[in-house]
Amino acid sequence: MNILIVEDARDQRLMLSVVLKKQGHTVLEAEHGKQALEILKEHQEVRIIISDWVMPEMDGLELLKQVRKTDLGRYLYFILLTGNTDHEAVVEGMNHGADDFLAKPVNFDELSARLKAGIRIIELEKQLEQQKQQLVQAIETVEKDLESAARAQEVLLAQPATIQHVSFDWFFKPSKILGGDMFGYQAIDGETLGFYQLDVAGHGIPSALFSFTLNNILSETSGRGSIVKETFDQAPYYSVRTPEKVLASLNNRFQVTPESMLYFTIAYGLINSRTGEVTLSQAGHPPPLWIRREKSVVEPVKGGGVPIGMMPNMEYTSCTLQFQPGDRLFLYSDGVTECENAEGEQFGESRLLECLKDSLDEDLKSVIDRVEKNVRDWSELDRFDDDVTYLLLEWKP
Amino acid sequence: MAFEHRDEGHFTVVQIEETRLDASIAEAFKTYVFDLIDNGKTAIVIDLAEVRFMDSSGLGALVAGLKKLSGNGTFSLASAQPAVKDLFDLTSMDKLFKLHSSVDEAVKGG
Repeated sequence: MNILIVEDARDQRLMLSVVLKKQGHTVLEAEHGKQALEILKEHQEVRIIISDWVMPEMDGLELLKQVRKTDLGRYLYFILLTGNTDHEAVVEGMNHGADDFLAKPVNFDELSARLKAGIRIIELEKQLEQQKQQLVQAIETVEKDLESAARAQEVLLAQPATIQHVSFDWFFKPSKILGGDMFGYQAIDGETLGFYQLDVAGHGIPSALFSFTLNNILSETSGRGSIVKETFDQAPYYSVRTPEKVLASLNNRFQVTPESMLYFTIAYGLINSRTGEVTLSQAGHPPPLWIRREKSVVEPVKGGGVPIGMMPNMEYTSCTLQFQPGDRLFLYSDGVTECENAEGEQFGESRLLECLKDSLDEDLKSVIDRVEKNVRDWSELDRFDDDVTYLLLEWKP
Repeated sequence: MAFEHRDEGHFTVVQIEETRLDASIAEAFKTYVFDLIDNGKTAIVIDLAEVRFMDSSGLGALVAGLKKLSGNGTFSLASAQPAVKDLFDLTSMDKLFKLHSSVDEAVKGG
């Protein structure tokens, strides 16, 4: 063990030093507290201090106080040397964090017994430090994994695009590294596009993994396994599943157990890129907003519906909207409207409607940015408490 | 304690003494209700009078209780406040639960 002896009397110091070296310890020496502090900073290997009480420059008690209040990067076991009957000194020393005491003149058997106790404590301390290091490393690994999962999640997201005269843009910001929100859009056949936005209950890893799965399932447009399209052996060989049927089959496929409540809300729709007819079905999701630019109004499309996974055999309904050229649809997760300001007031649907009305003449990207700015200004925080996601589409034949 | 329960006739009324039923207490609430069900309570009324905000985790905990009973009893909700009512409307909870305007009404109903 590496031991620092702090003692102003040279002969005493030498004697202690010789005895400890004989017992196999590595010994450093200081003449007073100030010098001891310097040595402690420089020599990280020192773990035990044996210090006299009365010394010039800085006495033993002051050294003890300094050691306890300074971050020296490790626990130091502190043995104070006291006069034989000095009970008050013992109490004062203990109150300031001394680990043990040794009466002067020093009895060497007692010294070696007390050192053994100190070494036991230091060994335990070292084990704790090691375990803590392992934990820190484990957490770092988990965080790195999470970050690479987050990058994988970003790759899953569809890029802003125009497909068959329908343009899409979006905003996606998980509250933690990973989120339970997801969205997507794609051509299902030559004139039909499917699009959705969903929100898995909760945040973090389980929700994110589930949202990955759902993204996979919903983007599968061919083969027997496709949930958005049915295939037949005879003409016409396929039919595009209606939104309410897609939701019903998702619901039958993903029933939660009482223990894991990984259900999700979703708005799923189809748009005919030739006629501008939109069919929309919802399962407990905030109503998508229909931006009718010619009429200069923004209307929530009410839908209702039980979230997916809560109860088997639920039926869903859909509604049909006839788009005019330039009409838009805004799908969003509740993280947008439930975003709270410093007073705990929610952003709410009416502010979102106002914001969208103010941006009727702007292009998609500007609308996306305007909504983000409004919500951020409202929350006044850098981060969001919930995943914030919205998807905007525009039909321009 | 965030939750308490009392017997009213053969009903067990669970009172949530929190203004938010959200992710921070949803798990504790679920455990509380599961314990009641494991101890043989089969007619459960959740008193939501104090709850001003509920998120998806809170809603999940309520449905978990309903599923835990798996048809062997009743699980109803009482005294939903406006914001919670809006959430129930949005998610069509009336299709899953009996919603009562008050605990009195819930325990009278049978």
